[in-house]
Amino acid sequence: MTNRNAQIAGIGIALLLGWLVLFPILVVAREAADGAALRAFFGRSGEWAALWASVWISLASVGLAAAIGVPLAFLFEWFDFPGRKTLGSLIALPVVLPPLVGVIAFLFLYGESGFIARAVQALFGLPEAPWRLQGPAAILLVHAYSMYVYFYLFTRAGLAKLDVSMLEAAQALGAGRWATIRRVVLPLVRPSLVGAAILTFMTSLGSFSAPYVFGGGFRVMTTQIVATKLNGDLPLAMVETLALAIVAVAGLLVLRRTEGDDILVALGKGIAPRPRPIRRAGIRALATAAGWGFAVLLLLPHLTLALVSLVPYGAWTTQILPPVLSLENYRRLFSEAERLRPLLNSLWMAAASTAAAVVLALAAGWLVVRRRVALRRAIEGLLALPWALPGTVFAIALAMTFSVHAPPLRWVLVGTVAILPLAYLVRALPLTGRALLAGYRQLDPALEEAAASLGAGRWRTLVRVTLPQLRPGLAAGASLAFVAALGDIVASIVLYTYETRPISIEILSSLRLSETGVAAAFGVVLMVVSALVLGIGARR
Amino acid sequence: MSGFLGVLGIEKRWPDTTVGPITLDIARGEIVALLGPSGSGKTTMLRLLAGFETPDAGCIVVEGEDVTSMPPARRRFGMVFQHYALFPHLDVGENVAFGLREHADAARKAGEALRLVDLAGFERRKVQELSGGQQQRVALARALAPEPRVLLLDEPLSNLDPALRERTRRELRHLIQRVGITTVFVTHEQDEAFDLGDRIAVLNAGRLEQVGAPDELYERPASLFVATFVGRANVFRGPAARALGKGSGAGQGDAVVVVRPERLRFADAGLAGTVRERRYTGAAAFFLIESDTGERLEVLAEPDAASVGDRVFVQADRVIRFAENGR
Repeated sequence: MTNRNAQIAGIGIALLLGWLVLFPILVVAREAADGAALRAFFGRSGEWAALWASVWISLASVGLAAAIGVPLAFLFEWFDFPGRKTLGSLIALPVVLPPLVGVIAFLFLYGESGFIARAVQALFGLPEAPWRLQGPAAILLVHAYSMYVYFYLFTRAGLAKLDVSMLEAAQALGAGRWATIRRVVLPLVRPSLVGAAILTFMTSLGSFSAPYVFGGGFRVMTTQIVATKLNGDLPLAMVETLALAIVAVAGLLVLRRTEGDDILVALGKGIAPRPRPIRRAGIRALATAAGWGFAVLLLLPHLTLALVSLVPYGAWTTQILPPVLSLENYRRLFSEAERLRPLLNSLWMAAASTAAAVVLALAAGWLVVRRRVALRRAIEGLLALPWALPGTVFAIALAMTFSVHAPPLRWVLVGTVAILPLAYLVRALPLTGRALLAGYRQLDPALEEAAASLGAGRWRTLVRVTLPQLRPGLAAGASLAFVAALGDIVASIVLYTYETRPISIEILSSLRLSETGVAAAFGVVLMVVSALVLGIGARR
Repeated sequence: MSGFLGVLGIEKRWPDTTVGPITLDIARGEIVALLGPSGSGKTTMLRLLAGFETPDAGCIVVEGEDVTSMPPARRRFGMVFQHYALFPHLDVGENVAFGLREHADAARKAGEALRLVDLAGFERRKVQELSGGQQQRVALARALAPEPRVLLLDEPLSNLDPALRERTRRELRHLIQRVGITTVFVTHEQDEAFDLGDRIAVLNAGRLEQVGAPDELYERPASLFVATFVGRANVFRGPAARALGKGSGAGQGDAVVVVRPERLRFADAGLAGTVRERRYTGAAAFFLIESDTGERLEVLAEPDAASVGDRVFVQADRVIRFAENGR
């Protein structure tokens, strides 16, 4: 491709991405400039309460997730005890639970009619359920469970990059164990910690399922926006959406400032410390017991979901454990066309959006890294933008933008089969984009040049050399994008039609009809598919 | 044990190898090199001294105090790591002051340490911005600033490019002597060990082969391993050993004879052979001789002593003898 053509392609892709991810936000911003809606937003205490709730829930989630994930990372990276390897992989289990599935698992497990509550009630002969799983505490419980993994994985990765001679140098200079951790280890893994904090904060700010199911009267901004939208107060929904977007970007900028340079790469070629066996028998037993106890705690939601999925409709009333188990729910799920449809919908929409995101990211990666087109910064920024904003913001923005017929930029897509895949695509772009940009940057251009000098054309070079080299990052990015689309709830709830309803919507409506077994069976299917896809994506 | 730093029968067992038992006695202010090929246990020795490894047997004594089970943080041994291990999140001054926490005048002391290594005024520089040689000096200043009892250096020059190595070696020696600190360093290069060390401990396969001054190791190696690892050596067995060993008198029936290239000379009679290669080094030349009995030997002589293809006879001025087991 000549340079001129590459530049034109760069402009084309920048325009396409701009239309997909930036234009809808601009539409929201314009619609939000509505005097009445702004007055309503600034005047109502409920709005401010929801915004504040979003912020403090997110900050508390970061704190809780760090408090669980960071010590675990140190334990697993630095110490050896029986079962360390097995437990180390079990500990990432919450990742395979899509947000809504995790939430319903918690509902079945810790909810007022869940296993634990029933057991406690029976044990003490209480007249009614001992607690209700509701409000901020319930939301934080789910967040801590699903987001500590970020801190755990990031911190472990940071610790694994640490040079053991750094720790020894600190010791030789008289620093004890705690002083070494405080003065050397934590500053060195700070980029990892900040990375995890950003991810947790953003995920938490955009979290919808937990506040939607457990919030009750307690509203955060995401649930507030969807409620306003469903009430039909569009201008106010736009103002709320914009407010959430501003909070997200501000939070991101503040957290970024604390990140510092990635200084780890600059020095040291040493090796990470080996895990040390815990010598004292008592402490070793304690660590092992705590590890396994924690693993059981982590696995309980998965087991609960599997168990509930085996309970036929109406078979379980007041007993602690369900009296009948059968595969009835699965049979219905796969044999009734109306039940199978959401599953097929979710699969094809996730596949289509992921494929499109991969193709766009491949083209963008090549133009940005290899051809260094003039608009490379813009392309990179546009690819990352959807990550900086909660899913609700994009869901509302797309709903607004594509419900009006004003060619060439605005078409009526809401209500058609195209809108959900489009929404998933927007969310997938940062995942595939980041993976492929990083992949291209690590790829030695000499490899492609070598292929060319051996007579391979551009197509053959792409298929035989470039793609195989990019495969690990590509697989990781694509599998994350696919799983995110498969388990999506927030875009789905705003944009679905009956024809294109995805699994998550079906789970919610099953719950509403008290068909808990069917909801759980859907959850199990979603969990298994997610685990398989993530497993394939993580293979090297 | 009379020395300042004593190592008594120390031993470290790994699943597949064992280092030790090793006994060493180091005087105050002495510089000792641990020399050996990779896998000889020299790094393990240094890490045992530093306290990063705990020995399975034996003990380490400093100034009469048993420090064997003392954690590294309390030993007051300064260490310079092979890749320096400078803290990338701290600047030069903060790195050097890291071990000076309790001192009220930490900044002044750090400044002094930097002046010692000729880096005065570098306090606020980032460590990443320094050259390899400067990083090495910062690491040295950082290790010396808390005024340790012993200085440990792990391959101190291996990370520098060859052109810089010789100069740095000289500077390092002057610095250590000026400070007067007892020093133990690890190296696999004989030049470095000879140049820096007052005494050299040669290790092989986890065992201490010999401890001694450079000339002692060179002239009177305690084992065949030391003889061949330290300096160039021609090793002869059988008839050739007998032929060369005869010249300098004593020792009948010695199984192995080692002769340094400069201790061989061309003569009218002796071991007969042909010159196969000549390597000119300026002041002299190395001649590679293939003897009629098939041995290959190296002779250091005047550059014009012979030329390739010449028939020559070789005699030895001085030989080192070992029994069949190399000892």
